[in-house]
Amino acid sequence: MSAPAGQDQGGAPLLDVHGLTVEYATGRGNLRAVDGASFAIAPGRALGIVGESGSGKSTVAMTLLDLLGPEAGMSAERFTFEGEDLLDPVAARRKALRGHRIAMVFQDPGSALNPAIQVGRQIAEPLIRHRGMTQTQAAARVQELLAEVGIPRPADVAAAYPHQLSGGMKQRALIATALGCEPRLMVLDEPTTALDVTIEAQILDLLEQLRGKHDLSILFVSHNLGVIERVCDDVCVLYAGRVVEQGAAAQVFAAPAHPYTRGLLGSLPRPSAQRLSRLTPIPGRLPDLTRAPAGCIFAERCEHAEAGCGKPQEPRALADGRTVRCWKAEAIAAGAPPTQAMAEAPPDAGPAAAGAPGTTDAGALIAVDAVGKTFRLGGMLAGLRFDFSGGFPLRTDPPKVRAVDGVSLRVRPGEVVGLVGESGCGKSTLGRLILRLIEPSDGRIAIDGHDVTGASVAALRPVRRLAQMVFQNPDSSLNPRQTIGQIVRRPLELFGIARGAEAQAKVVELLGMVRLAPEYAQRYPHQLSGGEKQRVSIARALATSPKFIVLDEATSALDVSVQAAILNLLADLRDRLGVAYLLISHDLSVIAHLADRVAVMYRGAVVEEGPSAQVLAPPYHPYTEALLSAVPVVGLKDRAAQRVRLKGALIGGGAVRGCRFADRCPRRIGPICDTETPPVVEPAPGHRIACHLPLEALRAVPPVFGAAAPHA
Amino acid sequence: MIGYLIQRLLTVAGILVVMSLLVFGITQVMPGSVAHMILGEFATNDQIAALEQTLGLNDPWHVQYWRWASGFLVGDFGQSLTMQRPIAPLILDALGRSAALAGLSFGFVAVIGLWLGILGAVKAGRFTDHALAIGQYFFIAVPEFFWCIVLIMLFATTLGWLPATGYAPMSDGFWRWLSHMVLPVGTLVTGLIAHVSRLTRSAMLEVLQSTYVSAARAKGLPERTVLWRHALPNALLPAITVLAVDVGILFGGIVVVEVVFAYPGLGRMIVYAIENKDLPLMQAGVLIVTAIYTMANLVADLLYAWANPRIRYGRSVA
Repeated sequence: MSAPAGQDQGGAPLLDVHGLTVEYATGRGNLRAVDGASFAIAPGRALGIVGESGSGKSTVAMTLLDLLGPEAGMSAERFTFEGEDLLDPVAARRKALRGHRIAMVFQDPGSALNPAIQVGRQIAEPLIRHRGMTQTQAAARVQELLAEVGIPRPADVAAAYPHQLSGGMKQRALIATALGCEPRLMVLDEPTTALDVTIEAQILDLLEQLRGKHDLSILFVSHNLGVIERVCDDVCVLYAGRVVEQGAAAQVFAAPAHPYTRGLLGSLPRPSAQRLSRLTPIPGRLPDLTRAPAGCIFAERCEHAEAGCGKPQEPRALADGRTVRCWKAEAIAAGAPPTQAMAEAPPDAGPAAAGAPGTTDAGALIAVDAVGKTFRLGGMLAGLRFDFSGGFPLRTDPPKVRAVDGVSLRVRPGEVVGLVGESGCGKSTLGRLILRLIEPSDGRIAIDGHDVTGASVAALRPVRRLAQMVFQNPDSSLNPRQTIGQIVRRPLELFGIARGAEAQAKVVELLGMVRLAPEYAQRYPHQLSGGEKQRVSIARALATSPKFIVLDEATSALDVSVQAAILNLLADLRDRLGVAYLLISHDLSVIAHLADRVAVMYRGAVVEEGPSAQVLAPPYHPYTEALLSAVPVVGLKDRAAQRVRLKGALIGGGAVRGCRFADRCPRRIGPICDTETPPVVEPAPGHRIACHLPLEALRAVPPVFGAAAPHA
Repeated sequence: MIGYLIQRLLTVAGILVVMSLLVFGITQVMPGSVAHMILGEFATNDQIAALEQTLGLNDPWHVQYWRWASGFLVGDFGQSLTMQRPIAPLILDALGRSAALAGLSFGFVAVIGLWLGILGAVKAGRFTDHALAIGQYFFIAVPEFFWCIVLIMLFATTLGWLPATGYAPMSDGFWRWLSHMVLPVGTLVTGLIAHVSRLTRSAMLEVLQSTYVSAARAKGLPERTVLWRHALPNALLPAITVLAVDVGILFGGIVVVEVVFAYPGLGRMIVYAIENKDLPLMQAGVLIVTAIYTMANLVADLLYAWANPRIRYGRSVA
């Protein structure tokens, strides 16, 4: 066995863990959540732990501070921090490190702050406890800390309750809490996963800056390879509780040596302007961790598996200092990197890609004209949490919120239109408006020539058949009491498409379309994995042979390896059935991968729209440029130097004067942005940008994805 | 917060108006007139007509309702038919005695119920929790009147420690007063403590699994700070609502307990009024109980709002 990567970098490691195992007793035997994980972090280094759900990555993070609770059985061969042995039966030594020598930042800033206590008091707690400060001293220090993490008006924020802060502000406050006692090691468990990509970029910048200033060591847990690559020096890839590959991040991402790492990288959609036809998902699902196989844990999903993989795999050092748990590692690392293989794939030629882009009514399947939606809020109950369709932000002051403001959009048959924007921009509301799941306040919507704006429920029926929807969370969009067969069959009967044996046959056919075996018809949703459930949702949407499907964050809840399979499936169905999609996502990579045209939404309006390749390359709307700059993309770490950053967060609602993006715009010209509605410029047919900047200035902006961008 | 208060007060007023209409409506749908009941079955038609005239029973119903309801607003609850006395002082006396019973019971329910709930959540899955759960289900399942009988048999008949029935005013001495309270209160609280502690336990368990509790532990705070400062205030929010609903259950229980223990409270007075067809007395009693229950829920809503910063402070800062 080799020394973990961190040990090579100068002197004794800060944290040294060897053979960490965490087990839970279950009714079916012991579940091994973490199995013999070894890693080390040298002072000042950042180690990333990456893996999909069920990999045990959060368990590793929680173990460091003994936060797992008594039901988790933890053991290790070696576990030291700053040379101190932390292996004691009651974990008292690890508990003693909490909050001052090791600090932790959790995933969802919305739930990691106590809703009943003022933010300032929460930040002060460790200071009072570990530094012996008085309330007054701590309060003064809290202000300094809040200022250091880039919070304007620290006094107001310290006095606020968590619900009064935006997600990004909350995460900054939590980072301030962690910094308070000047810890040696900061453990961050998916700290940006719940945040918008622009806010994520701000937080990652902040971490980079704090790390340099305080000589912090970092343990960064994430499912997002791009984020890990940006933050970390070393990386540790976890699969089913075992470390399958670890080493310097640059090496691991450039030439992955374990088939699982390769699979993860191959599953990643990338927001480059160049369209890639297919992702390479990882087939199968996580093994049952109560009956883990004796041999390689990844073997049953591995494309390189052969007889030799049945033997137990131990971590092995490669010549370049990496450790890999695969006996074929050298051969695999020498193979072409998955990124390159993808880049060479032929560009996609969907049915719509060939046609001339435009918004003429001719042939438009979906025609949306100046559609708006105003939500009325209960004025007297101001302060309550209002949760509209798309996770609307907390709105209190104005009694009304203009969620969608005069949007016009065309979707042609067989075309995939991507709708992208931060949470609260109104993209989900627009999707629901088009299907008339909610009533538009103004404007006109037509589906396949039928005006649905004022249509009665009866008049909508034939249109409902044409236009379907797939929701984000398959756990809550599939009825848990119905079998898959019943779920898929229901629309067939509802629309009188098929009955009895004919319906039965049709269900099997639909399941086949989403590549599920006929036996699935007898199963219940809880017996399916997340990806399989989303396939069922798609099959249900396809049951009425629709011409149009709204995909509202349909892959956002899935792991990348599963998401890749669903994206491939959606692409195939589009090609085979000629169905058009409105692909709503916060993830530009997903949009870029699948969409023929992209509409970028900000505060209820489309600020840029056009064919994907043109939207993803200059000239950009400044907001599009900022969104693209914010996405962490594996293999494009250098891009970080020249990116633009957005300040603040999206604040919705209210009437808009001038440009709606003016208050956050990095390329603001002057007062004109606040007073005049920006003109729409059309740099190419079908590509429209609403901005005051002259087109030449927009064209002069360097591409965000350097060489990858085509020459438009 | 002021807007919220006004809205809640308007709602309460609305509920009271509707309830009073329903209670008043009883006189309108009852067979025979009130004059019949007062004069008895041997009254002549002339006598009845004369009394109906005096009582204003020939006026339209809304005039009668207004006369009756406006009387309540100034503290005039009308005359008891059977006792020939103004109702207000009768009801107030009975209410005071019931309030002593209810207040004492409610205090025990709140304190012991919450405490046992927290204990169950902290010891979740261990012996204490299981033992508590068995006891809780048992006390929820067995009805109150059963405990009335068991307690009387044990403490009054067999042991002779406590009086079986009746009431003694404070002026007879605190201990004498208390001795009459023990058995009724004991009967009332068992089921409710079990109920409140069950719900507190689940609220507390949910809070203990929240990220902010993990985050508090990760800060290195001692477990008791985590429990009392971080977990409990959040777990209390649902408990407040439950306690308000339990006030209603408490009143239902009080009727039974007052009758069995011959305790001269409001519950027993209402039962008496119904048995003796004393309509004005019954109307007054029912309306008072409704008002108390509505007020308890109002207090709970306000407490909830006060304890919940999301309602207390709406405006976002950043």
